Amino acid sequence: MAAIKVDELHHEYNDRGRAVTAVDHVSFEVEENEFYTLLGPSGCGKTTTLRCLAGLEVPTSGTIEMDDVVVFSSRGVVPTHRRDIGMVFQDYAVWPHMSVFENVAFPLHTGKRLPGRVIKDRVHEALELVNMAEYVDRKATQLSGGQQQRLSLARALVRQPKVLLLDEPLSNLDAKLREQMRKELRFLQRRVKVTTIFVTHDQVEALSMSNRIAVMNKGVIIQVGTPREIYQTPHSEFVAAFVGATSFIQGTVTTIDTDAAQVTLDTQIGKLVSDLHIELGVGDLVTVAIRPEAMRVSSDPFPGPNNLEAIVDIGLFVGDAVDYHVHVGDELLRVKGSPRSHYRRRDKVFIDVPPAECVLILRADEGPAELARPEDTLEPVMIDTTA
Amino acid sequence: MTTTIDRDEPVTVKPGRAAKADRKGPRRRISARTVINTITILVLLYLVLGPLIMLVVSAFEDTSGGVVITPPFPWTGANFDTVFTSSETYSVLWTTVLFSGGALIFAFAVSLTFAWLVERTDMPARNTIFVLVVAPQGMPALISAIAWSLLLNPTNGFLNEVLRRVFHLSGPGPLNVYSLPWMILVQGMALVPLTFLLVTASLRGMNASLEDAARTSGSGFWTIARKVTLPLLRPAIIGALVYEFVTVVEAVDIPLVLGLPGHVTVLSTQIYNASHPPVGLPNYGVGSTYGIFLLILALAPLLFYNKIIGNSSDYVTVTGKTFRPKIQELGRLKPWAMLFSWGYIFVSFALPLLILIWASIQPYFGTLSRDALKRVTVKSYKSTLSSDLFATALKNTIILGLATAAGSMILAMLVSWIIVRSRSRFRWMADVLAFLPHAIPGVVIGLSTLLIYLILPIPVYGTIWIIAIAMGTQYVSLGTRLTTGGIAQIQRSLEEAAEASGAKQRHVWRRVLVPLLRPVFFNGFLMVFLASIQNLTLPLMLYSTGNLVLSSLIYTRWDYGDATGTAVLSVVMTAITIVAALFLRGAGGRRAGD
Repeated sequence: MAAIKVDELHHEYNDRGRAVTAVDHVSFEVEENEFYTLLGPSGCGKTTTLRCLAGLEVPTSGTIEMDDVVVFSSRGVVPTHRRDIGMVFQDYAVWPHMSVFENVAFPLHTGKRLPGRVIKDRVHEALELVNMAEYVDRKATQLSGGQQQRLSLARALVRQPKVLLLDEPLSNLDAKLREQMRKELRFLQRRVKVTTIFVTHDQVEALSMSNRIAVMNKGVIIQVGTPREIYQTPHSEFVAAFVGATSFIQGTVTTIDTDAAQVTLDTQIGKLVSDLHIELGVGDLVTVAIRPEAMRVSSDPFPGPNNLEAIVDIGLFVGDAVDYHVHVGDELLRVKGSPRSHYRRRDKVFIDVPPAECVLILRADEGPAELARPEDTLEPVMIDTTA
Repeated sequence: MTTTIDRDEPVTVKPGRAAKADRKGPRRRISARTVINTITILVLLYLVLGPLIMLVVSAFEDTSGGVVITPPFPWTGANFDTVFTSSETYSVLWTTVLFSGGALIFAFAVSLTFAWLVERTDMPARNTIFVLVVAPQGMPALISAIAWSLLLNPTNGFLNEVLRRVFHLSGPGPLNVYSLPWMILVQGMALVPLTFLLVTASLRGMNASLEDAARTSGSGFWTIARKVTLPLLRPAIIGALVYEFVTVVEAVDIPLVLGLPGHVTVLSTQIYNASHPPVGLPNYGVGSTYGIFLLILALAPLLFYNKIIGNSSDYVTVTGKTFRPKIQELGRLKPWAMLFSWGYIFVSFALPLLILIWASIQPYFGTLSRDALKRVTVKSYKSTLSSDLFATALKNTIILGLATAAGSMILAMLVSWIIVRSRSRFRWMADVLAFLPHAIPGVVIGLSTLLIYLILPIPVYGTIWIIAIAMGTQYVSLGTRLTTGGIAQIQRSLEEAAEASGAKQRHVWRRVLVPLLRPVFFNGFLMVFLASIQNLTLPLMLYSTGNLVLSSLIYTRWDYGDATGTAVLSVVMTAITIVAALFLRGAGGRRAGD
């Protein structure tokens, strides 16, 4: 049974007289104890969706059900403080005038009265969960960013809520700490078993932590799937581009070999053979999305069907790999090479594109789809996907 | 199974959004928040618009029988005829322009010079000078006007006597403080402390690297000052200018004490005279008409101000990291700079204070002589301070200060919350209403508050509470400026985290907002307290025997001709305000001063 059901959620607000749609009739369901991620660029409506779940925003229309209780519909709205949730904010929102203990104990003082000993035990338990037990007497302002983040998590969990809402909780931490918190957060969520909605713009966070990911853009959910589905078989150029670095090649289907389940495409870089994983007809326009780590680079030709001749533009050594930017004809490709490889600018190299690694995206007739490609997707994602 | 939480209460449309997009619109409860917001805005509407409506109504009525707010209205244009046809009106307007323009030019020239000397040069004892330039803020303008009258009145002014003796002159003079130039000077000096504070604060906050960049581009001192520093300070200077302009045009203290004897009349005293004539009945209609004039005069610069400050993001002068700015070495100019600084401090602060102390320990005010030294006595302190009048006035002053400060700060907090946090469609209204009293001259607030409670069956007329209401209205602007900044600094998520933790609105205020706002509230409370005990305009406009406060007591004693008693009260009052100001500096000084 779904723990959270969102149906036709719509949120409009007024910006200087103009109606702006932040969330456009979005529907999704989250299973009990699932770690569900809303992923998308800034302004895609993911945070608004989360805030509607928390009751901090009142949607324009739609229905939200949490744990079988309708918390929002056209008939009424349950205010935030009556929803069974815990929330972690991007800026931690740790109350500076309270101690660590008081911060975590706060949610326990809101409902029916609990005896002091119970409160103490539960605060301790929550702090233990996030490895903060020894800081219980500190002032909140004496904590580092990472510690404030843990404190904020303990505070969200202390009421043992049905739903945990996380609003970009890791984005204010530095890179090292972020990596560690990713792991800890996921462990913790499995241990305490709480349905979790996680909002992020960071594809690495989304891929590494989620059970399922909903990719959002312009107020709409574009694709829902497991991290592997999202990464390996994106349904659109947007998803392919947003979740990891991708090279796109436009082409037309020339022949279809149903026995071998392969298609041959005519593209700007010549003939390309791809595995067939979507329904296609001869003459269809397609975009081929290829991940940098799916290709191989060498100074010698490859025996496979897709052996491309390329010129190196630049090779960026990133430690565990070399991020090559090459061009084949006029087309630019990003290829991940072994850290031992060392091709220089203007070197001639061969690129192997295994047919199994080509992701075909059917294109509408009006030409290449618009690429809403935010800057942060340009960060190489390759480092993390090798593991 | 699915359960729905029913909401059977009537629909309250959440402003701004739901109305258009969803015809049915979700039903919502009337939350405690909505109720508080509505009450706050209604109170504000009543306090701010009520007086203004009365002002306009009475300006268009024949008020010989009092102001009428039920039909039949005695509508008439006679008041405007009187005002427009009288040549006096134009001379009063011209005097007002000269008076306020002169005082502002003086105050800004002095303040900018001091700001530069203190912040950007190697002048010795800069911190002491800073404190001493600000210190006269503790001396209300009324008292400094009295002090200057004691120093420079043409008959027995202390300095005049000295000059006469030195130059063997006879007759009155040679200097006459009861004239426009001296009024300008005294008013200018009274404006310096606050102007200086405002200007230094922004000079200090200015990123010094902007000046360094000009320096490394090859600019010299004057080019940097002219092309970089002053343009960057422009919003701050204009902001202070507009603020101080309202202060000057609404002031009655210096125009009454120095202008009345010399027959120099400005708009504010014209209004006071019309509503408090020495003989005959008050003419509220004409007073209100002049009030409308003054209101327009005070509002005019605001339009100009908004135009410039509207794109204030072009002037981002304060950045997180500021480096120590380059210190200009004064070199040969150092003695002159010091002479200027200490000379000004002596004239603006020490001299008035000394003359007041001198007058307060003399049985009657006379010249400095061996006999006078023998007459030194503290008897007047005993008699004045033990009088019932003083006891009443002191009690009233404290009640007034506390009530005004508490009332306006609580209202300011609630208003700021609406301005900063709510999405109510009335938000702009709260913003405008809270700002408006700042632009309404005190005499106008006083007059219109008087008009309202002459009519309304609320028994505050003639009590201390009518002054408290008028002052609360006036200082809600000051309070809102402070609390809006304070609430804006509190991240919204701190409140949301409390809500998401299950806290009701009441708890959010009690456990999160109020504790976090306590320093801001306390700071504002003291500021309003200080301003309200110094204020003479409102106590005088709403004066009656039952609501005497220290400032109106001082003025009435002065008006009565009791120099010694006035001096005693002035010294005591100055001591009180300086102590309160020190308190304020201790509490919020780091924010205001640093």
